[in-house]
Amino acid sequence: MTAQLLAVPERCTGCMRCATVCSALKEGMFRPSRARLHVVNFPLEGFSAPGICFHCPKADCEKACPEKAISRDEHGAVVVDRSLCNGCGDCVAACPYGMIVLDDEAKAFKCDLCGGDPACVKECEFGALLYGKPEGDLLKARGLQMKQRMPGEMAPEEKRRNLAVNLMKALRSDG
Amino acid sequence: MNLYAGKILKVDLTHGTVTAEPLPGKWIRRYWGCWGLAVRLYTDLADPVVDPMAPENPLVIMTGPFCGTAVPLASRFCMVSKSPYTGTIFETNCGGAFGPELKYAGYDGLVITGASQRLVTLTIADGDVRLEDASDLAGKGIFETEAALKARPGLAEAKVLAIGPAGENRVGYACIGSEAYRQMGRAGGGALFGSKNLKAVVCRGTGGVAVADMPAFLAKVDHYKKTDLLTEDNLWAKTDGTPILVDVTNEMGIHPTRNFTHGVNEGKDAINSDAIKRNKVADRACASCPLGCGNYTRIKDAAVEGPEYETLCLAGSNCGMNDLEAVIRFNRLCDDLGLDTISAGNTIALAMDLTESGIHDYNLRFGEPDQYLQVLSEIAHLSTDRGRQLARGAWETAAAHGALDRVAASKKLEFPAYEPRGNYGMGVAYATSERGACHLRAFTIFSETPFDVEAMVRHVIADQNKNAIKWSMCFCDFWGTVSPEIMADLLTAGLGEPVTAEELTAAGERIWNLIRLFNVKAGFGSDQDTLPPKIFREPLKGGPHAGRVFSQEDFAKARALYYELRGWDENGMPTDEKLAQLELTRL
Repeated sequence: MTAQLLAVPERCTGCMRCATVCSALKEGMFRPSRARLHVVNFPLEGFSAPGICFHCPKADCEKACPEKAISRDEHGAVVVDRSLCNGCGDCVAACPYGMIVLDDEAKAFKCDLCGGDPACVKECEFGALLYGKPEGDLLKARGLQMKQRMPGEMAPEEKRRNLAVNLMKALRSDG
Repeated sequence: MNLYAGKILKVDLTHGTVTAEPLPGKWIRRYWGCWGLAVRLYTDLADPVVDPMAPENPLVIMTGPFCGTAVPLASRFCMVSKSPYTGTIFETNCGGAFGPELKYAGYDGLVITGASQRLVTLTIADGDVRLEDASDLAGKGIFETEAALKARPGLAEAKVLAIGPAGENRVGYACIGSEAYRQMGRAGGGALFGSKNLKAVVCRGTGGVAVADMPAFLAKVDHYKKTDLLTEDNLWAKTDGTPILVDVTNEMGIHPTRNFTHGVNEGKDAINSDAIKRNKVADRACASCPLGCGNYTRIKDAAVEGPEYETLCLAGSNCGMNDLEAVIRFNRLCDDLGLDTISAGNTIALAMDLTESGIHDYNLRFGEPDQYLQVLSEIAHLSTDRGRQLARGAWETAAAHGALDRVAASKKLEFPAYEPRGNYGMGVAYATSERGACHLRAFTIFSETPFDVEAMVRHVIADQNKNAIKWSMCFCDFWGTVSPEIMADLLTAGLGEPVTAEELTAAGERIWNLIRLFNVKAGFGSDQDTLPPKIFREPLKGGPHAGRVFSQEDFAKARALYYELRGWDENGMPTDEKLAQLELTRL
């Protein structure tokens, strides 16, 4: 199994460095709303959950794309070929985690694992984002996160928030 | 525009209008952002003799050039106005994520003038800015207010500034809360929101912050993060956070205990950093911070992000409360009701002292948690006689009982958690701060010569000038090693034009003097640059500095030297020569 991007919500402080730096590298400006990952913060409960693309083994976005614009690269990343995207948005509805969206020009964009060296992981000082083979607790954590599938009609931001709420309930006795 | 959004949002609450205006370019390279730029904007608008609670008193909320970028520990934002608690100009700043959100929405800051007839919220969703009726939020705590606003369409990811009942009732030390546990805490910002009938500001921004050369800027950020920030001098914030100061200040004998009578708390192990760690659930951070000093703690059903050192000491040791569960409950109640924990802790400690010494019975006693927790709601809601009295703060309460010899405050603002009889520099810092007793203008506790008056005065002036520019860059205190050289290098890369450390250092002194010009016009002079009687006359008890005072003679020498080194006259007025050097004109 190739290396995976992994999130450990219990370790996330909500600092947003991952999303801030991601947007700087991908968008050329500090713009977390356009980052390829999203941290959902619950300040009152002292909980945060990084919303990441799992690069699913059977990716719903890839299956949904009528133009075959979505494929898997040599690092195992599910990537979009912008030149083939027709902006239909079927992938956006298909992703249960809200991790693929359309940009201002109606082209789909998502996490590409930075060519196998994700910048977000290097930015995380608390080990809430990791890149490696999921084993043991990390495998269980990935399983719990991937189990939280949201329905297609929900907006991506809402999917991510609801997923994070479910994780807080599962991981926090006072959630 | 690089690093800046380039716009200020002007909000006139009397007429219900909002307009976006360009950031005044002529002031950027002289005042930079956050504190400095807010002071420049505020002093341009406000009459120094204005009644702080009148509609004519503006509020200026500002971010800084690094806010919203990857520069670490640079996401703070501040408010400048005239304080209803002290009558001085004041600055109060806050971490969390509101500052970056405001930049992403397209604004460097807000200028709020006038007063609304009805309770309102200001909603900013990128370019869509509205004033909306908030009568449904009247009387609600900060936690519920934030949740209600974020439940509105499109605002789930918004950040909020809000007041609780204390602010609505204009309690003098009401704070403004943000992201549940972060505050513009000191000197009554919440009362100012209340005076304007402004319940909350809610902001969602989806834009971005640009820099001149992104790869070069990111390389510099990474370099300073690794070689300067994440080094031994600063890593205490990651391993412990501010509770580490409980042990540090006790060892130094400068840990205020039982209403500033003792310099050590024998029971401190119940509330020190080890006690916090035993009850910690998670690390928490402000936007952009890789240190994450926040400790989310829980005991039984009581949880809070905190308590921070100031709360552990002033609501803990100073109230004789060696009970972490009680301090957590106190902290959470203050954060929700919208009360500053430093002023609240001091005021209740004073009331305990007055009760136990038989001067007046407030039914509050050192170490007894029930009434100590109960009285907070009475203060915030002004619902009982003792609540109404204690809502006026420690100074006014002591004065009401002819007991000013028992209070610890300068310019009526209660002391933070460092005993000046054990470190004269903190006394000079408290007496000369623009907003009254404050530990965020100068901080001398790690000095090797805490009783050397000249060394302490020089230390205080250097810190004040440096912090005036550091807070203007919206940095957090806890990047302790960030220098004007680092700031200048990051500004140069971000703006794409050369900035020097020298011009930043000069700006720091300029900002401090402009603040002074306002306070002098507001009626403040050397008489107010002082310490309360107990520091001059009552010997400290316990610890290595038992028996010490900071005598009035030593203090007078320190103040005279401070004015001389500042280039101010004997009443503390900046001289013409000093103003000419700083390119400042009198207000």
